[in-house]
This record gives sequence, C-alpha cells and structure tokens, in this order.
Amino acid sequence: MVEQIVFILVSLFTLITAVVVVTNRNLFHAALALMASFLGVAGLYVLLDAGFLAAAQLLVYIGAISILIIFAIMLTRRLMHALESPFNSQWGLGAFTAVVAFAVMAGVIAQFWPVTPDSVTPLASRPEVSASILRGSVAELGRALVSSDAYVIPFEIASVLLLAALIGAIVVAWPKAEDE
Amino acid sequence: MEFQVPSLNLLIVLPVLIVTGWGMLLMLAEFFIPEEKKSWAPWLTMLGLVLALIQTIGLWGYNGGTFTPKGGAPMVVVDNFATFLNIIFLLTGILTVLISIHYLRRTGLDRPEYYMLLLFSVSGMMLMGMANDLILVFLALELLSIPLYILSGFAWPRPDSEESAMKYFLLGAFSSSIFVFGIALTYGSTGTTSLPLVLERISDAGMLGLVATAMLIVGFAFKVAAAPFHMWTPDVYEGAPTTVTAFMSVGAKVGGFAAMLRVFVAALPQLGEAWVPAVAGVATLTLIVGNVVAIVQPNIKRMLAYSSIAHAGYIMIAVAASVNSPDGVSAALFYMLAYLFTNLGAFAVVIALEHKQGEGVMLDDYKGLGKRRPWLALAMAYFMLSLTGVPPTGGFSGKFYVFRAAIEADLLWLAIVGVITSVISGYYYLRVVYLMYMYDGEGEVVANRALVWTVGLTALATLVLGLLPGPWFDMARDAALQTVQMVAGG
Amino acid sequence: MTPGQLALRSLIVGFIITFAVITGFAYTTLLERKLLARLQGRIGPNRAGYIPVPTRSGKPRRFLGGIMQPAADAVKLFFKEDITPAKVDRWVYTLAPMLAVIPAILILAVIPWAGEITILGQTFSPYFAIAPGVNVGIVFVLAITSIGVYGVVLAGWASNSKYAVLGGIRASAQMISYELALGLTVLVPIMLADSMDLGEIVAAQKGVIDWFVFRQPLAAIIFWIGALAELQRAPFDLLEAEQELSAGYTVEYAGMRFGMFFMAEYMKMIALSAITATLFFGGYRGPFVDQVPALGFLYIGLKTFIGLCIMIWIRATLPRFRYDQLMAFGWKRMLPISVLNFVVVGIFIVLQEEGILQPLFENTLRFLGIG
Repeated sequence: MVEQIVFILVSLFTLITAVVVVTNRNLFHAALALMASFLGVAGLYVLLDAGFLAAAQLLVYIGAISILIIFAIMLTRRLMHALESPFNSQWGLGAFTAVVAFAVMAGVIAQFWPVTPDSVTPLASRPEVSASILRGSVAELGRALVSSDAYVIPFEIASVLLLAALIGAIVVAWPKAEDE
Repeated sequence: MEFQVPSLNLLIVLPVLIVTGWGMLLMLAEFFIPEEKKSWAPWLTMLGLVLALIQTIGLWGYNGGTFTPKGGAPMVVVDNFATFLNIIFLLTGILTVLISIHYLRRTGLDRPEYYMLLLFSVSGMMLMGMANDLILVFLALELLSIPLYILSGFAWPRPDSEESAMKYFLLGAFSSSIFVFGIALTYGSTGTTSLPLVLERISDAGMLGLVATAMLIVGFAFKVAAAPFHMWTPDVYEGAPTTVTAFMSVGAKVGGFAAMLRVFVAALPQLGEAWVPAVAGVATLTLIVGNVVAIVQPNIKRMLAYSSIAHAGYIMIAVAASVNSPDGVSAALFYMLAYLFTNLGAFAVVIALEHKQGEGVMLDDYKGLGKRRPWLALAMAYFMLSLTGVPPTGGFSGKFYVFRAAIEADLLWLAIVGVITSVISGYYYLRVVYLMYMYDGEGEVVANRALVWTVGLTALATLVLGLLPGPWFDMARDAALQTVQMVAGG
Repeated sequence: MTPGQLALRSLIVGFIITFAVITGFAYTTLLERKLLARLQGRIGPNRAGYIPVPTRSGKPRRFLGGIMQPAADAVKLFFKEDITPAKVDRWVYTLAPMLAVIPAILILAVIPWAGEITILGQTFSPYFAIAPGVNVGIVFVLAITSIGVYGVVLAGWASNSKYAVLGGIRASAQMISYELALGLTVLVPIMLADSMDLGEIVAAQKGVIDWFVFRQPLAAIIFWIGALAELQRAPFDLLEAEQELSAGYTVEYAGMRFGMFFMAEYMKMIALSAITATLFFGGYRGPFVDQVPALGFLYIGLKTFIGLCIMIWIRATLPRFRYDQLMAFGWKRMLPISVLNFVVVGIFIVLQEEGILQPLFENTLRFLGIG
C-alpha cells in the first residue's frame, strides 16, 4: 500500500516535470525540469529494486547529460531572457495526434483491467527471473554484457555506435579551413 | 574460474567484423599516412569493402547463427537472405566510394572521416539483414543512421547541408524512439525480443501485439521514406553532398527494408491480416505522393528524392505480398538489386554534372547533354528508362516480379496502382531525356575515370538485369526461401 | 528487524552522523584558516574563545585560541542581511544553495564509519553506516558527487552576472572532464575487492599491507586529483578564482545562503576524505579494530583529518591551473592513464585467477637470474 502511494507520487512528479519541460518558455527552467523528471525516473527504478540502474540513471542522465544541456544553454546568447514559445502553428495537430495515441494505448491497457497477476494473459508468458539476478544484479549484469551466450554482440555494436558518434562529433566541431 | 573458449562462430559475423575493423584501422592509419598521400584513403576503404565482399560471397549457401543466449535463438544469423542483402550493401559502399573520390576533392570535403563513417554505416546496414533480435535490429538501425546524420552535414558550413543534417537527425531520432517503443511493447506482450520466440508467442499477444506492430511499421516507414513519413526526404537529399544522397537513397532504404522483411515475415506473419492492409495502404499513398509530387520538381536531386520515395512504395508492394506469396520476398530483393545499380548510376551522372557544390543540379542544366557528352547522356537516358520501368531494363524486371507477386497474393488492386503510377512516373523521368536531346545548352561536365567506370558498370548491370533477369531472380528466390524456411522451422 | 525499525534506526544514525559532520564542517573552516596561516608564517584567528593558561610571567597564555571562531562566523552569517539582487531568477537563485548542500549530506549515507558494533544494545551489522549494505554504494557516491555541481551551475546562471556565469560554465566543464577519470579509477578498488559495497571494500583491506594504496598507488593518486577537481578545491578552484572572477558563482550571494555554499564545500571535503580513506586506506580498519570495534570511529576520523590537512596543504602550495591546462590535463593525461591502469589491473586479475600470474612471476625472476 505504502509502495503504491510512493509509486503514484513519484510518477506524478515525473509526469508533471515532464509537462513543464515541454511547456515552459524559459529554456533553462525547462532543462531543470528535465533533470527533475530524470530524477523521478531514478525513483521509479529504486521502487523496482533496480538500485544499480537508479544510480546509473543519476550518474549518466542527471550528472552528465543534463549538465551538458545546461552547459550548452549557458553558452547561448541572451542568457537570462531566452524566452522561446514552445508552441508553433501546428500545436493543434500535435495535440490531436497525442490524444489519439494516448487513447489507443489507454484502450489497449484498459482491456487488461482489473490487473491481477492471473488476468494479464499476454504478460503471462513473461520470462522467469532467476533469484540470482535479483540478489546480485550488478555482477550478473556485468557478466551478461560480456558473455558470448548473452548480450556481448549488442554491447559491442553499441560501442562501435558510440565510436561513430564520437567521430561524427569531432567532424562537426572541428574548425574548418575557410579556403572554399 | 574455468577458462572456456567461447562457443561462437565468428565466421558468420566476419564480413561485418572486417568492415568495422577496417574502419578503425583506417582511423589509426590516418595518423601514419603523410599529408601528401591522403588520397590513399578511398582506395584503402575500397580494399576493405572488397575483402568483405569476397568473404560475403563465400558465405553464399551457408546457414547458421551465432551469439545464442541461454535458452534462446541466435542473435545474429546468416542465411542467403542476409548474404544477398550484404552483397547489395557492400556494392553500394564500393560504388559510393568510386563516385566520391573526385567529387569530394573538387568540393573541398576530402577528409578521411568521410570514409570511416561510410564504413561504419555499411556495417550497420549489414547487421540490419543479419539481426535476429529486436535489440540488435535497433542498434543496427542506429549504427546505420548516425554516420548518415553526420555525412549529410559534411558540407557545413553550407546552410542547406546543415539544415539537411539537422532535419535528418531530429526526425530520425524521433522515429527511432517510436521504433523503440514498438520493441518495448513487443517485449511487453511476448516477453522476448528474439524474433523466432516472438513468432511463437505473438499470437497470444492480442491488442498489445498489434499496437507494437503499428509502431514498428511507423519506425521502418520513416527509415525507408514512405509516405506519410517522407517529409524529411526531399530536403535532406537536396542538402546533403550528392554522393551521400546517393549512398543513403540506396543503402538506408535497403537497410530499412532488410530489417522490415526479417521482422515482419520471419516474426510477425501471424499478424499478417493486420499489417498487410496497413503496409499496402502505406504503399499506395507512397506511390501516389512520390510520383505525383516529383513531377513539379525543378531540381534533379529533389526529383530523385521523390523518385526514391516512389520506389520505396514499389518495394512495399512486395513486402505486403510477402506473406501470401512465396515470391514476395524474392521480388523485393531483386527489385532492390536493380534499384541499387539504376539509382547509383543516375546519381553518378548527377555528380558528373555538379561541377561545383550545389551548382548544375537543376533540370535545365541537362539541356543539350546529348550533344556535349553523348555516352553520358545515353547512360542517363537508360537509367531514366529503368527507373520508369521500360523493358529491357533492370527496373522493368524488378517491377514485373513485384507486380506478379502482388497478383499472386490477391493484391491485384495494389498491382494496378503500381502500374498506373509507373505510367505517371514516365512523365518526369522522360522529361530528363527530352531535355538532354531536344535542347541546346552548355555547362561544365566533370567526369573523371572512376566516375565513368561507375556509370559504365551500373549501366551494364542494369542491362544484364533487364535482359537476363532469370538467373538473378533464381538467386533472389534462393535467398528468400531461406527466410520462409526459418519461419516454418521456428 | 522489520523494515520500519530499520528505517527508524537509519534515521537516528543519519541525524547523529549529519550533526557530527556539520560540527566537523565548522571546525574544518577553522582548521583551514589556522593551518593556512601557519603554512604562510602567520598566526590565524586566535581571539574568539580561548582557554587562559597561567604562565610564570603572569600574563596568561591563550591556549586553543580561536576555538569559538566558527560560532562567531555562524552568528555573523545568520545576522547579515540576506540580499536578493534585483534581476536574479528568484526561483533558481533560492534553489541553488539547497542543491549545493543536499548532495553533500547525501554522500554520507553509504560511508562505513565502523565495523560490526553494538551500541546501546543495538547491533549494527554488517557495519555502521546510515544505509549499510547498499550493493552499489560506490556508484551512488559517484552519482551524488556529480549532482553536486548543480548548486554551482544554478547559482552562476541565476545570479544574472557575468562573473557568476563564467564560474558556472567553468564548473560544469570541469566536472564533466574529471568525472570520467574519477569513475574509471574507482573501478580499480571495485575490481580488487570484487564488490561495489563500501563495507566490503574496507573488509578486503584487512591489514595495513593490504591497503589498496600500496597495491594501486597510481589509482590512489588519480582518485585524489579527481576528488580535488570534483570538489573544486585548489588547484582546481578556477570557478571562484578571486583574481579573475572575484569569487565567481557566489558573487551575488550574501548571508546564510552564501554560507551554505561554504557548508557544502567543506562537508564534501570531509566526505571525500572519508571516501578516499575507505577506498584506499583501509577505512575504519586499524590495529585492534576487530577486538574493539569502537576504535573504527577513531581510525576513520584520523584518516579523514589527515586527508583534510593534505587538501589544505595543497591549497597553500600549488598555484591554480589555467583553464586550457585544466582541460588538457583532464583529457590528455588523467583519462588515458586511468583507462590504461584500469585495463592493466583487469588483465592482472584475470591472470591471477587463472593461476598464470604466479608461474609467470617466478619465471621472470628466474630469467633475470634473481630467483
């Protein structure tokens, strides 16, 4: 019961800050709200007993990505007065699409109502999570990422992907000779 | 801890390893190649691609998978389907390098990063055809796309190139997120991301599976530039350096279709009743939008952009037919092979006329090409006929097989739409021919040896596919049967 | 014990430790002022509060002069007018000092202050900490330290002042650059101890000879440098460089809000000293700690104190980095060295577990004609 209340509060926090991100006119405040939203997601991970994911979320999203975003905003001009309207002429269309998408998703999920462990047939085939994973999640996670009978190939491809992105970032940022 | 030799078969991923490893080696070699010998970079790149191509051809007829998780199906598979597609991707890479060499030098874009990013993108495409797990499909999609985002902005600070990169990046990221959402819902409804296991369980997934399928369609449709998700295509194709446009008009599109065929035909055939009409609808819209809007384009790059949208529509017909017709997949594969040569050839001619960056790309610049450069004009005319689908060209054979598959799959109306739009497309393709031969005009044509070779080779290949499509289609059929067998075997 | 009781106990322990550290913070300021003064040949604050010791000359000697200085500073800060400048972003301006202090307190949660110990009938197992047995303890520390920069960045932006913004930009750039090296070095104790739980890392350093600083001095040095950068202490205090930025991000703050930034800085100094002690210097372990667990408090306190003294010593000795030097040092020296170190340690651990290391070592000795 307590867990449910906490879950609802954390989810509300995440959603409300997410709404602030897209509606706030002040870019810096929006970035801060984004960081708060990430924090809410980290809270959800904690509720799901995924401590390592929560810490990684803090470290990567709040400690690095949001800081980079804020860093970029601080380098722009008109620092304090960068008030941009987040709405353009197509907001009505966007709202319509969002509402339809939401209605579809809600309709699908409503089919499973009321949700009890037995009633969710499509989710009944979910894989068994072994107890060892729940106990020592970090070590298991590490092993899974580098074992050839687990996820080594996505892991390696992700690293190639990051290398490509790194080269790309250097290409974009490299000072260009003005000889054209 | 016991030291175990990992039980994996690296032979299967060897072509991909060669391409990515070559990209990294090139990056290191970059330090040691002296400044005046930098022109070696394209040839080195080509060497790597040719090595991978030889290796890939050696894998023809080989079936297998590797990187198998405990109690699951292999994450990477190689079968004739994947091998066929890998050959297409490697040929695309090789031809792109050929048309890039001189173009990059004269536009001042000649930097070795171009070729590294090209190699990484090719490896992403190859994985698209080989991935047997949705996680891997997503990663391959990103590995394909991210270098392309950068490459389309390679001509910065030219504003339209920057706009191109920005647009492509934003929309690509957006579509990727929809795609990931689709994967998440698939996982939520089946408890797995492995395609063979999805196949086993998807029939119990109910509505959730359908929503997931819809999102996957949207994600793929963005990548292959199908209407109504095509909005980015003209601007991106126009702004990007022309060689990059050529590369992505073939590579990214075929990559998207590779994964789409694998996912939809190998994992989701049971939901065919739901997604076949959706894909058919998208195909219809794509054909109409692409072919009709292309008519009014004064810029050849924009025109070819809309033309590539239209061709995505034709391939989509084959995708829609692939559940109920045994020849659907092979028709799509054959079409993509023909499209590869025809489209890259056409772009090679466009590059020959683009003497400066962004100049010489209007349709008016083609006036009088028939007198100035008769052979080049002849090749261009032939490519245009092939794109229209007039025999004896590869384009005609491709369309023939696609429409036949559609009729076999009881999608006669779709085939009719395809024929009608092909007739419409004749207007704008043949206008290029008309301008080349019926007017006088002048303009610089920069065609070096590599470019001429490319044009000749692609024209020859188009001709061969047009005159003798049989053996090649049998190859495509071999490639497709494997996919269907995988479905049967689970 | 029920979860409720556990939570209550954590709350009580948390209160005690936080108050202890806040007191520690107050006296760290005094320590810094006194020690800096001594290192520079001055006397430092010696008026506020002292114990008169009678001497033969009749004039009493001032023993422990300045002992009440922190209290005087606190009173001064509290009663100063708390100015909010006109054109600041009021909301963020108020939030920034809080965001600076909260992470500084949060880090304390996972530090083990003593081993298994029984106080007032309560047994703290497996070790004495606010949140014992967090299996990702060290990742948590890294995450929270990286959040610590928000206080500085937000203060810099909200102040609507050039100097403050420059301080904020410098802080974020510095943070991103040094966090990588710091994170990679932290992996070394994790690998040596085979755990991310700070308590188990301490437990892996049984005797003095097992301290990770002796097995991995390079990692310890890099960690210390990274910690200084993360703390924005000299020689990495570019963001408050008096000469260029006239105190940087705090320039528009006054009163207790200004004080809170200092509180955050000194509390983080204490926390990172304690974490360095935990990771590389055996934490609460020392002679006879197994027999008398209460000695743990003393040992970690002593190690933290030494760490603080070294920080102050460094501040008194080293000149400040220039901005480009800072970036070059972070990316071109610290990062490659820490990556290399981490890879080498990993290889050696695998060799040892495979039983290859020992014969390799002996054969090398034989080859060199020593063994």
